[in-house]
Amino acid sequence: MGKKDNTDSLYASDPKIYPRAVSGLFAMWRSIGVFVLLGIYYIVPWLDWANRQAVLFDLPNRKFHIFGLTFWPQDFFYFAVILIIAAFALFFFTAIAGRLWCGYACPQTVWTELFLWIARKVEGDRPKQIKLDKMPWNAYKIRVKATKHFLWLALAAYTGFTFVGYFTPIDELASRIVNLSLGPWEWFWVIFYSFATWGNAGFMREQVCIYMCPYARFQSAMFDDNTLIISYDEQRGEPRGSRKKSDDPDSKGLGSCIDCTLCVQVCPTGIDIRDGLQYQCIACSACIDVCDSVMDKMNYERGLIRYTTENAKQGKSVNLFRPRIIVYATALILMTVSLAYAIATRIPLEVDILRDRTRLFNETDEGLIENTYSLQIINKDEQNHHYIITVSGIDGMKMIIKSDTVQIKSGEVLDVPLRLQIDPYDLKKRSAEILMTVTAVDNPDIQIIEPTRFLGPTGR
Amino acid sequence: MSDTALPTCQKAVSILWPAFLTAGVATILFFTAFDPSVLLQETRFADTSRMGAYTIGFFLFWLLTTTSCALTCFFRRPCNPKQN
Repeated sequence: MGKKDNTDSLYASDPKIYPRAVSGLFAMWRSIGVFVLLGIYYIVPWLDWANRQAVLFDLPNRKFHIFGLTFWPQDFFYFAVILIIAAFALFFFTAIAGRLWCGYACPQTVWTELFLWIARKVEGDRPKQIKLDKMPWNAYKIRVKATKHFLWLALAAYTGFTFVGYFTPIDELASRIVNLSLGPWEWFWVIFYSFATWGNAGFMREQVCIYMCPYARFQSAMFDDNTLIISYDEQRGEPRGSRKKSDDPDSKGLGSCIDCTLCVQVCPTGIDIRDGLQYQCIACSACIDVCDSVMDKMNYERGLIRYTTENAKQGKSVNLFRPRIIVYATALILMTVSLAYAIATRIPLEVDILRDRTRLFNETDEGLIENTYSLQIINKDEQNHHYIITVSGIDGMKMIIKSDTVQIKSGEVLDVPLRLQIDPYDLKKRSAEILMTVTAVDNPDIQIIEPTRFLGPTGR
Repeated sequence: MSDTALPTCQKAVSILWPAFLTAGVATILFFTAFDPSVLLQETRFADTSRMGAYTIGFFLFWLLTTTSCALTCFFRRPCNPKQN
């Protein structure tokens, strides 16, 4: 597929790319993507839910709040499942329609789009930007460049502030940042993320996609002959050549491509789509939009550059339900349903049992065998609860605990020390499994049964 | 193709960037498993806030992964002088 990259020295510094502004169907979809995704990013930290920030990854307190749910480090499992779901979703969409993620949803693309929009508002479109960069430094150039960077930095700073707002309550952060009274780590991350945004979206842009993105390197493994790709219709376009609108291309022996090079000028990665599919192509579809507008002007049929598949190009039928898609879709659905089920039936209680490590067992004055434990109980629920602790597993076991029930507030941890005593006559084994059950008094569904061991002298 | 064709900046970035990615993953996994305030409570760094510990932890991981990436590049250089 596509021409081999003729390795025009991978390490030569690339010329700066000035992508030309483009309008059309796909440009509109990308703008919608930018609005929706950046809208979500900038607005979500300001939403409230039950008297606290709706989405707060509270790293200082080691709790993630997502609307009504609170996740603890012990819930890492869910995070892992979410990552796997995200990976399968990426595989699924890539196999169907190529680099949809890159063209419309990747933060790199989305912020770059916004930064380019600002640059075009300030400096003008591609020809003006090139002219500006070539011109010697003068008052005008300094003013225009300063305006652009001021706007870029302001946006980047707000982006960095919003980013930290996902990790510390944003209302409080906002009032502290205007008083310049953030903690050192908060300052560090606000500034770090702001500079990363400024550098990535302002300067590095699609260089990130070409040189730094791991997905860009392996995405072609998900492609097959039925995957939608952006492709130039070589049969129709060649031989390319300039002509007047009134000329008949057939009589001049020309194809539909008028060689206006607009498809190259709009390309954010600076490639020529007419050379075939290349791994630098992020499937932004800018070349489709601009080529369609040229075809309209020439009164030619649209679609000289279009979304198509390798099979369609060769006149074969396109098969959507191929094994690869079915496997990805099944995995995606299974994982999503299991995650939803696991979260819905999640018990908002965590019990860790620690045995007293200094002594395996004690013998009391009455001749009973005693084991000492410490229960760490975490109330992960949104409400406060009273809990009752019971043990089972060996008949005749006696539990010594300060009080029958313990109260734990929402989101708090309590260490409950307790001792178990048993008549050595009832002890059949040196190490016996016992079960400790912690149950919420007001809701028996909130119950955790945790196994542990009771140790004694050699059994008989 | 010889590595010397790489500009210094690109050499540095090609070491720092993969190191950054793996350091990020390592930081998440490490601090999910271990609470820094518990780890540090018996040490002279007990006053460090969790945010501070996460940040320093990330940079220590980055230093570690950078070292390992840099050593990989260093040892990949041909050691047979005839090949040069």
